[in-house]
Amino acid sequence: MAQSNFSAVDEYGFERHEDFDYASYEDFMSVYLKVLASRAHKWSTMLGEGKSVKRTNTIKRYVRKGIPSEHRPSVWMAISEADKMRDLAPDLYHKILDGPFEKELVDLVKTDLPRTFPDNIYFTKEANHQTHLFNVLIAYAHNNKVVGYCQGLNYIAGLLLLSTKSEETSFWLLKVLVEKILPDYYTRTMDGLIVDIEVLSELVKSKAPDVHQHVINLGLPWAVITTKWFVCLFAEVLPIETVLRIWDCLFYEGSKILFRVCITLIKTNKEAIMACNDFTTLAECFKAIVKNASALHCHEFMQSIFKVPGTLSNATIVKLRDRFAKQRREQQQKEPPR
Amino acid sequence: MSTNGCNDEAMATNRSGAQRPNGAPQTKVCQFKLVLLGESAVGKSSLVLRFVKGQFHEYQESTIGAAFLTQTLCLDDTTVKFEIWDTAGQERYHSLAPMYYRGAQAAIVVYDITNQDTFGRAKNWVKELQRQASPSIVIALAGNKSDMAAKRMVEFDEAQAYADENGLLFMETSAKTAMNVNDIFLAIANKLPKSESGGGSAAGGARRLADGDQPRTSTCCK
Repeated sequence: MAQSNFSAVDEYGFERHEDFDYASYEDFMSVYLKVLASRAHKWSTMLGEGKSVKRTNTIKRYVRKGIPSEHRPSVWMAISEADKMRDLAPDLYHKILDGPFEKELVDLVKTDLPRTFPDNIYFTKEANHQTHLFNVLIAYAHNNKVVGYCQGLNYIAGLLLLSTKSEETSFWLLKVLVEKILPDYYTRTMDGLIVDIEVLSELVKSKAPDVHQHVINLGLPWAVITTKWFVCLFAEVLPIETVLRIWDCLFYEGSKILFRVCITLIKTNKEAIMACNDFTTLAECFKAIVKNASALHCHEFMQSIFKVPGTLSNATIVKLRDRFAKQRREQQQKEPPR
Repeated sequence: MSTNGCNDEAMATNRSGAQRPNGAPQTKVCQFKLVLLGESAVGKSSLVLRFVKGQFHEYQESTIGAAFLTQTLCLDDTTVKFEIWDTAGQERYHSLAPMYYRGAQAAIVVYDITNQDTFGRAKNWVKELQRQASPSIVIALAGNKSDMAAKRMVEFDEAQAYADENGLLFMETSAKTAMNVNDIFLAIANKLPKSESGGGSAAGGARRLADGDQPRTSTCCK
């Protein structure tokens, strides 16, 4: 990992752009490498005792502090219980890949293959990840016809492939995310997504009322700001190491984590947001806050998501989801869709 | 707080150079919200990237939700600042689209000249805008990928006739070669009303994307 400080390509294969801030990144890595070394030692001690990973409070605490990249595939499978799904249908992935495939789905997926991480060396035409990505996405599209293929899943599956280096593991993790962890984000009407954006808006209103009012006053809907945050689970939004640390917790603790991250981003950058006095500056501000130093320093950032937002219970989220889903259904009955 | 429409001073006083001496003619500054709509992979983001940064990527990342950019064009006596919303093309993102075209003074509906289906989808977008968007929205139709004319599936004349029937600006464009990219934005800028009597920003109603509860501040060129 250390050589990545000086490389034009990061450890996941992403090219660093001309404007990449090597100095800030080295500042960050000089601290974070020590954290990684310490966590790697703790994890190998724990896993070395022959314990399988179970959903216990110790594991939850370990996960919050970051899963070493070499353990991510197996630990993600265990803590999300995707491995249980796989054990129920161990041949599923390969059976689906025997085909046949629907042409419409093939065309949809193929269109996005060269448009997924074009600046990643593993996703160029010459490298093999486009083929792996096709297999994962086409298998999932046929496995779950209600979802099929939704743009955004390409980035999630792509990052799963980069992290797990296994098509089959990526397939099962994608399946557990879409079907167990996230509520209907990727279906044809994206109802779960639209509801969760409303839930976030309500949470911001109660946890940072001045920011909420300011953003509303400047005329920027939360949906405009956060659609990509939710759809991509912060892939292609936050720095990659931060995204993977978020996913560690997401696989264990579920979609609540997404709200914690959103609220932390909003509250941590309150001053910058409040300083915007028109729509354009505000839109630019939301592009900047996901790339700044506090977003890059993933270890501190992940500590802050459990402090900055304050209490956030699953019960609150369930209640708000029910409320906005109901409102949405009532509204749809009144005005049939166009 | 900025408003859509035009303003004699707003930018003049912010320019890096010295303020104009008294009596010199001032440039009017007009701000307009423009949205790009169209099927996935027709080249919406590429048109914006070409217009805003003068760049082209053979493989442009798929847009999720929407991307926001701004670009300024100088006409003879007016500076036009576009707030550009580049939207996701996939059908299921459709339910989010009204958020982006609501209050827009201009729209570019894009199709791919090598793909007939995308032209059909473009027509649906035009219909939806005519029904749902501001009545005075300026709509331009862009037949993109004109550099790939060898694989053409949509005839120029067919698209031109459709545009004429519907009162749309029409150009075939190529984000790759830059053909007609600045021109289509320029044509829109020229067509947008830049005086109060001409409708100005009232065209799109509030510049807000949300259903703002505040009365909209007025408006166009003083």
